[in-house]
Amino acid sequence: MTAFANRRLRVLLAKLGMDTHTIGVTVIAHALRDAGFEVIFTGLKQTAEMVANTAVQEDVDVIGVSSLSAAHMKHLPKLAEFLRQKGAGDKLLIAGGVVPLEDIAQLERAGVQKIFTMGTETKVIVDYLQTWWAAKLAAEQSGG
Amino acid sequence: MSQTAAGIAAGVLAREIGAGARLIRWLEEGDPRGRDALATIYPHTGQAHLIGITGPPGAGKSTLTNALISEQRKRGRRVGVIAVDPSSPFSGGAVLGDRVRMQTHALDTGVFIRSMGTRGQLGGLSRATFDAILVQDAMGYDVVIVETVGVGQDELDIVSLAHSTVIVSVPGLGDEVQAIKAGLLEAGDLFVVNKADREGADALTRQLELMLHLREQTRPSDWTPPLVHTTALTGQGVATLTDELDRHLAMLKASGGFAACLKERNRHMFESLLQEQAARQILAAALAEPSAAQLISAVEQGDIDPYSAAAQLVGCISLKFS
Ligand code: B12
Ligand SMILES: Nc1nc2c(ncn2[C@@H]2O[C@H](COP(=O)(O)OP(=O)(O)O)[C@@H](O)[C@H]2O)c(=O)[nH]1
Ligand SMILES: [Mg+2]
Repeated sequence: MTAFANRRLRVLLAKLGMDTHTIGVTVIAHALRDAGFEVIFTGLKQTAEMVANTAVQEDVDVIGVSSLSAAHMKHLPKLAEFLRQKGAGDKLLIAGGVVPLEDIAQLERAGVQKIFTMGTETKVIVDYLQTWWAAKLAAEQSGG
Repeated sequence: MSQTAAGIAAGVLAREIGAGARLIRWLEEGDPRGRDALATIYPHTGQAHLIGITGPPGAGKSTLTNALISEQRKRGRRVGVIAVDPSSPFSGGAVLGDRVRMQTHALDTGVFIRSMGTRGQLGGLSRATFDAILVQDAMGYDVVIVETVGVGQDELDIVSLAHSTVIVSVPGLGDEVQAIKAGLLEAGDLFVVNKADREGADALTRQLELMLHLREQTRPSDWTPPLVHTTALTGQGVATLTDELDRHLAMLKASGGFAACLKERNRHMFESLLQEQAARQILAAALAEPSAAQLISAVEQGDIDPYSAAAQLVGCISLKFS
């Protein structure tokens, strides 16, 4: 399936603002590692611009934000905008944590492509990313 | 961003971080465009001061790298960092956490930090890392810092082939000096006792001084490795460490060591590539031999031992090469 032997999905996991809930993001990091992905963690207290710069430096395929402190509407659209500004708008932006259902549509319009709320099984997240990655590799091979 | 080799190479030479990041990825993954772009940027490499940092996990290497970046930036230099963390031997995945300690520099356009997993494929870690160093070097970073855990031989190669190899120790690991991997004591150009704020730093210092004294006696050299105390968390001692790094660089440049180091690194890369490509071709030639299939099944059946079978097959093709 892959064009060359050493192709591997890279994911940046980030925590924005004052949100210090770390359990969810740690669980996700380990699940993605065990699925064979390369995970880079930003640590806490990031700004949207810091995360966007980091995504560029690390050339990740996916940026995943964990948000549990009700600041998702403030940070996520800003991050999507910074990513576009810095030429990284083609990367997949996803999020998880405590996000009320009524906010999801608006976040999706702002460029967050998928949101996994509280209680999502990690397998669901891994499957989603694996499917997305397979489609990306297939698109690359057929003329991308 | 252009996705052709020429476009990315031009971006790298124009110092665009996005282009550099993409080229590192191509090289790491064996994308053929990577090789073409590397050929274009290659003449622009060989300038950066390459600093290798190694030591046991938890010694404070990432924190120290963060403090070194700050100090180098104060001195007006642009800094590239390659931070290596181990990949899982089971899944091949990794959680790369070094840069958590370096995010204070995330908004500084004069700093480019890249994390790498040890993956251990396609010619090994050292090639992927040296490739990444070449990219940052061509981007005009004055200093390139490589952080590794220093467990595998590959990682040892990386740090010991740097211009300046920094060995980080910390008090409180039990038999501290034993924790310095064999070979590293010889390879070290500078020694750091980090977490100098912790108890036991003095005892560790005395042990290290003794080891370095013995090294000096068995292998005298013009450079006496300095021993620097740092508290990476506060930045204490990091200016002194940077002074020593600058002094080491000046010594290397004056003595011809800088060029010699580069020569050795180039040769190392060439040999590893040669080995890999030669092995691949010889293997293909051996398997194409008419007798190969028969030999393989004889080995599987246990009719012939694998040593003799391998020798026979290599014998067949070596006739053709001679
Ligand atoms: C544990 C906990 C804490 C611990 C955190 C410890 C730590 N180191 O993480 C402590 C006690 C410190 C804490 C503090 C606070 N907390 Co609290 N906390 C919780 C609690 C009970 C569980 C969170 C948790 O760890 N869940 C387990 C993990 C595995 O689940 P998860 O994070 O949701 O992750 C899953 C998914 O969301 C998703 N996911 C998460 N991140 C990501 C990222 C990506 C990329 C993807 C794909 C998926 C994904 O996948 C995971 C697996 O399913 C929740 C309530 C709850 N039931 O969720 C409140 C909760 C999150 N906390 C809350 C609050 C208000 C606070 C405080 C402000 C309380 C206070 N007044 O002091 C502080 C704020 C701290 C801060 N600055 O951020 C509120 C948030 C309300 C909101 N968002 O509107 C909650 C919802 C409680 C409530 N019902 O009011 N908290
Ligand atoms: N007390 C103290 N702790 C430090 C110092 N330097 C680093 N640390 C802590 O040591 C831990 C490991 O540091 P890290 O840089 O990740 O180590 P690495 O694994 O060698 O890269 C972290 O909790 C740091 O905060 C120091 O000088 N003094
Ligand atoms: Mg580290």
